[in-house]
Amino acid sequence: MPGILSELRVLELTHRPSGAYCAKLLADQGADTIKVEPPGWGDQARHEPPFIDEVPHPDRGTSYLAFNTNKRGITLDVEQAAGRELFERLAATADIILESYSPGRLAELGLGYEQLSQSNPGLILVSITYFGQNGPYANDHGDDLVAQAMGGYLYAVTGSASQPPMGTALEQMEITAARNGAVAVMAALFRRGQSGKGNHIDVSTMEAAVSTPSGLIHPYTYTGRNPHRGGSDGNVMDGMHLPTLDGEVTLTTAGTGGRPMEAWAEFLEEPGLLDPKFASRGGRMEHWEELHGLVAPKLAQWNNLDLMRETMARGLVVGLVQTPQQVVESPHLEERGFFVEMDHAEAGPLKYPGSGFFIDGENAMASARPAPRLGEHNVEILCGELGLTVRDLGLLRAARAI
Amino acid sequence: MAEKGILDGVRVLTLEQVHALPWGTGFLADLGADVIRVESPDHLQDRKSGPFPGGTAGEEWWNEAGNLVYYGTRNKRSLCMDVTNPRGKEVFLKLVEKADIVTDNFRPGTMQRFGFDHDSLSAINPRIITLSSTAYGYTGPWRRAGSRARTVDAACGLSYLTGYEGGPSQRASPNYMDHSVGNNVAYALLLALYQRARTGKGMRVDLTMLETGVSSVGPAILEAQRDITRDRLGCAHWWKAPHNVYPARGDDRWIVIVVSSDTEWESLKEAMGRPQWAEGAKFATALARWQNRHELDELIGNWTSQQDDLELARSLQGLGIAAGSAMTAEDLVNDYHLRERGYLWEFANPQAPAVGSRVFAGRPFKDPGNPMSIAKVAGLGEDNEEILAELAGLSPAEIGKLESEGVVFGAPRPDEPRP
Repeated sequence: MPGILSELRVLELTHRPSGAYCAKLLADQGADTIKVEPPGWGDQARHEPPFIDEVPHPDRGTSYLAFNTNKRGITLDVEQAAGRELFERLAATADIILESYSPGRLAELGLGYEQLSQSNPGLILVSITYFGQNGPYANDHGDDLVAQAMGGYLYAVTGSASQPPMGTALEQMEITAARNGAVAVMAALFRRGQSGKGNHIDVSTMEAAVSTPSGLIHPYTYTGRNPHRGGSDGNVMDGMHLPTLDGEVTLTTAGTGGRPMEAWAEFLEEPGLLDPKFASRGGRMEHWEELHGLVAPKLAQWNNLDLMRETMARGLVVGLVQTPQQVVESPHLEERGFFVEMDHAEAGPLKYPGSGFFIDGENAMASARPAPRLGEHNVEILCGELGLTVRDLGLLRAARAI
Repeated sequence: MAEKGILDGVRVLTLEQVHALPWGTGFLADLGADVIRVESPDHLQDRKSGPFPGGTAGEEWWNEAGNLVYYGTRNKRSLCMDVTNPRGKEVFLKLVEKADIVTDNFRPGTMQRFGFDHDSLSAINPRIITLSSTAYGYTGPWRRAGSRARTVDAACGLSYLTGYEGGPSQRASPNYMDHSVGNNVAYALLLALYQRARTGKGMRVDLTMLETGVSSVGPAILEAQRDITRDRLGCAHWWKAPHNVYPARGDDRWIVIVVSSDTEWESLKEAMGRPQWAEGAKFATALARWQNRHELDELIGNWTSQQDDLELARSLQGLGIAAGSAMTAEDLVNDYHLRERGYLWEFANPQAPAVGSRVFAGRPFKDPGNPMSIAKVAGLGEDNEEILAELAGLSPAEIGKLESEGVVFGAPRPDEPRP
């Protein structure tokens, strides 16, 4: 099926995973998404390890490949007049532009919302930065870890109470900012449908981090206590990771009808769990090492997939701590048709995650175009759509404008 | 409902519990949709989930939890009705005629048992969009499995990849997945509405936490297919150093410092007063700094541990270095940047007068075309009469009968245990 957003054009002029991922969310739903990269070097993510087959090559960075599906790519130097002129012409055809420059920089280049919306009043410009467009931190530098720290996530969420703060892997604050950005874009599209007018949207990654855990702010203002990391410390039945034959699992006391130790004693065939000292959550925390000594050896006899099947059959709730490899090979995801296979000219065939939802039974990832190579669609877009000749392209290339 | 929100006229019926789906429908409520939370009198866990003022539930505890304001019933309406009762079911199906979206987060099979599966609802209202938000989806061998956000944090690969450097795997968060799913729910529902505006046809959305999680760790999924191992690095980085969290002066105070280039390293040395140790070959290049990062981190930590993290972060940012305090919730509530941006929302819920005014996180995006605020927080069954009269067309006598026969409720049952 053609993607839901297939009538829309998106330009991506961003420098961080948040912008790339936000544009990907739109591209995966069919939006004609053009990634605009600086000539020569391109998106910084092209140059960040790890690389497919460990070959450092601008088309093999795994973050780059993962976050740029279903886009076309061109190179333009918007710092140069020639590049700016081409960008303006493209901007006139765009519904949505995503950018991540320091606040005000785009306007200095003559490409700010005020300027671009004059010829394209329906334009939706999304600025997605670490600290937003105004306020004392607006010009600060950031990255995912800084956003985790400044967003309160680092202090309160992931690590152990007795150790320094520790963040979550794989730049999740960037992802969260991107998901919020996509919601904002959809809302702006509805507004535009009514008023004909676009708007300038301001997304802050720091604020995305603050809003992400189930509330740092209001638990504090209700109780006067700062939420603190370490929720899984010593929590054998509700948080710790416990080894299995081929991986790890985390248990829960859910699905046990309020009698968790009876249910788990029966399942694991370990009557020691019925000791009254484990009956309450407090007791289990107090005697966690002893409890661990009873539970861990039993779980260590199970294969992950068998354990999942048998606990599921009994209504017990566990989480397999799957390695990425196990996720890729998951029979469940295979049966659902979640992964989308794409063959990239440089990286080869790979299975990419879908969108996380199916519409009328169909994988909602609309098309299957792997990430563009640097400037891959220069001719297609700059000549095919903007009417430049191949000779013009040569001149612009020599001038390092494309 | 926000005044004249962009989704004015869109009606959502939601059979939702816990966190992920309420968070998702909350976006639509903030954007002006009429989100009706159909609550069961027999499942009041969300209203017991707190937080409560000072940690203690009050007399009218069912309207006092902070989570209701943050996502549970903010800008929504509440209809407390037992839909498993035949009369309740009948009313629900009447509401479906006037709804655009029906969402649920039951395990697959439950909606069908109620007679509320997509095909049944679509027969009543062909424009209906249904969205089921589950852990594993309506198909596949794990479809019947229960879950918590943290068990899916585990199953999607994120927990395995998270941990202190050299240490065991550790869950990323007890509820990060709830938020990712909520965000994805909002996106999917807005896409569905956008699509329906063109086709006039409803659709069925099967949205899962597992797949949302896997889509959030894409790079690792590609790496796994080519035998690339992603080591756990705690707060360290694949190629940047220094890039870590460092101790600051005071109890449990920390600062993050990130250096991405030689220029920034020079600035950091300047800030540290050009100590002798920083000048040697060990730290002269990006590669050397990364290879010697453990020693580097310790030396930087010695320096930071004498300083106030909030002040140091400001002075490092002034030098062009990415730095930030590991903010506590208290720091954030008092943060002048967030205050100036209007990110923090203060709200006193008239439905919970004992609670008074409290501060909440706002939305991380601002669009002058779509302003958002807290207009109301629905108390349990607060909107029963209004909804039943206006949408289901019931007379006051019929509504009274539903109340007296135990189908709709304006408060918990008398024997409901307190939280």
